[in-house]
Amino acid sequence: MVGDRAQGRDTCVLDVRDLRVSYHTAAGLVRAVNGVSFSLRPGERLGLVGESGSGKTTTALSLMRLLPESATIEGGKVLLNSVDLLQLSEEEMRQARFADISLIPQGAMNSLNPLMKVGEQLRDTIRAHQNRVNSKANYAKIDTRIQEVLESVELRAGVMDSYPHELSGGMKQRVCIAMAILLNPKVIIADEPTSALDVVVQRQVMETLRRVQEALGASVILVGHDMGLMAQFVDRVGVMYGGKLVEVGPVRGIFKDPLHPYTKLLIKSLPNLQTKEDFRGIPGLTPSLLAPPPGCMFHPRCPQAMPHCSVDVPVFKEIIAPDRWAACHLYDEGQT
Amino acid sequence: MTSLLEAQDVSRVFGAGLLNKRRIVAVDGVSLIIDEEKPSITAIAGESGSGKTTLARLLLGVIQPSSGSILYKGCNLTTMDRRARKEFRRQVQAIFQDPYEAYNPVYKVDHVLTMPLRKFRLVHSRAEMHQRIEESLQMVGLRPEETLGRYPHQLSGGQRQRIMVARALLLNPRIILADEPVSMVDASLRATILESLVKLKRELGVSLIYITHDLTTAYQISQNIYILYRGSVAEVGSVEKVIKNPKHPYTRLLISSIPLPNPDIHWGGESEIETKASAPSTSLKEVRGCKFSNRCPYVMVECLHASPPLYLTDDNRAVACYLYKDSTQVSGREMAESLTLD
Repeated sequence: MVGDRAQGRDTCVLDVRDLRVSYHTAAGLVRAVNGVSFSLRPGERLGLVGESGSGKTTTALSLMRLLPESATIEGGKVLLNSVDLLQLSEEEMRQARFADISLIPQGAMNSLNPLMKVGEQLRDTIRAHQNRVNSKANYAKIDTRIQEVLESVELRAGVMDSYPHELSGGMKQRVCIAMAILLNPKVIIADEPTSALDVVVQRQVMETLRRVQEALGASVILVGHDMGLMAQFVDRVGVMYGGKLVEVGPVRGIFKDPLHPYTKLLIKSLPNLQTKEDFRGIPGLTPSLLAPPPGCMFHPRCPQAMPHCSVDVPVFKEIIAPDRWAACHLYDEGQT
Repeated sequence: MTSLLEAQDVSRVFGAGLLNKRRIVAVDGVSLIIDEEKPSITAIAGESGSGKTTLARLLLGVIQPSSGSILYKGCNLTTMDRRARKEFRRQVQAIFQDPYEAYNPVYKVDHVLTMPLRKFRLVHSRAEMHQRIEESLQMVGLRPEETLGRYPHQLSGGQRQRIMVARALLLNPRIILADEPVSMVDASLRATILESLVKLKRELGVSLIYITHDLTTAYQISQNIYILYRGSVAEVGSVEKVIKNPKHPYTRLLISSIPLPNPDIHWGGESEIETKASAPSTSLKEVRGCKFSNRCPYVMVECLHASPPLYLTDDNRAVACYLYKDSTQVSGREMAESLTLD
């Protein structure tokens, strides 16, 4: 397919196709991810941005198959080097986590076990992926690897003997990065990895993540709502709205010349340090996923909405330039 | 100038008790004035551990200062009578950082909205109450039918945060003290909430004390800013000066660390400051002299001996740093006063 080549599918590490995830709630079925397709190139940093409820975290968690019980993956494929992760058995998936695809979860610093020393938690990660006998030589090898990785995230080997509460937020975050890269995965998913950190520490942690990712040659999916962080960290941005991707493109293109009206408004809503009171909120509310609007999800808030936007669902396609994708009727044939 | 709310050289020390000998000076000699006549937005910015939330709690009278005093319309908060205190509690409203703590989990969220209206007898009928509540919810971008009648745990952090903003709006306050009011909401909504706070100042004459770690939004909405570092004012002045042309090495580090939403502006341009300042300062041990000296790339001998006073480096800006010792010294109080003048 032409689209496959344009989105780089022939050379991609991870290929997500038409992913659909629903939550069963007391109030009804919530389609949190509704037909999301994207691909990730080797060594690439891709950002997934969106507001709360846009489906970005659900997308990230379904790639890891770590969704809560109330969620069901209704369809789609998650191809990691041509293997569909969604078709793996639980045991195979367990082996794939950390070894092939790893996650730095939201509020990662609270995901460490408070009762276990950091070193023990890192050793567990390795041991869970080994069937080897617990020989002394093997233990020494594991510890050497852990020390190597800790060094690469700028932590002293001494933190292995610390409990999580003895470390600062930034250090805990580095431990989580260390854990995520311990087994040399090809894809690292970072879900708002620095949302709880101060700006100075945030920058240092993100720089560490970038350095280890480049050294490893891994690809990163950065999930978040901080457009500033996206601008500074990723190569390409995917913008999510109401469970769908509405625009995907190179980071400069997205910020300089956004195509989708939602992306345009999102960028206008960002405060800057150049001009005062030069930011506007997006009027209206994010769509209720229990009763989503018909047609384009964004049409009730869209300043450029046309009559058929409330009827037809726009197709996600390549627009104007190669590598720029959007789902919007403004770019249909015959529109100007 | 008449001061509406004033902090006079306020300090607050924690610990130092019988059991916990470790003294932590959370707020260290801060002066601040909110003018009565001219509504303003004042930002108090700093990282975690800078003492900004402690300062907020002092300003609200929730905790007492260890030294110095907080005055509301000239009356000391610790000694004011019950009537004045009730008036203070209506006129000075707070929006807190963690909106979960503000709710009683066994009550529906309606409770936090109806109670203040009843308590201060601001409405005369049930219908009027509902109308006021619905209006204020819509002002912060919430659908009343999706919010009312729910329990706090059924709402997202952003929704809970916005209900607290709506609650503050209900009472027609003179001052709103907002401690990270938008830290848990999305960008598009953040702008909407901040706009509504700016509108309150412009249209209703409410003054705002905006406590945040986010210098970009502080720059956007406020006139004056106090940069706190470990409880002390590092730099204070008009936002135009402090943010556009920061002078204190700490302020410069903070500003260069902001990830700007522009891929062409490179993150952390000021790299000279990076190497040394990147040593994380997690220890709460008291540093002698300037508190930033152990991270500062420009540290001099005198920095290690005494903490620097404020130097008036230019109009409407003072910096607590010996790099500017050739400028005139100014007290925190004089500085706070001069900021209310223009």
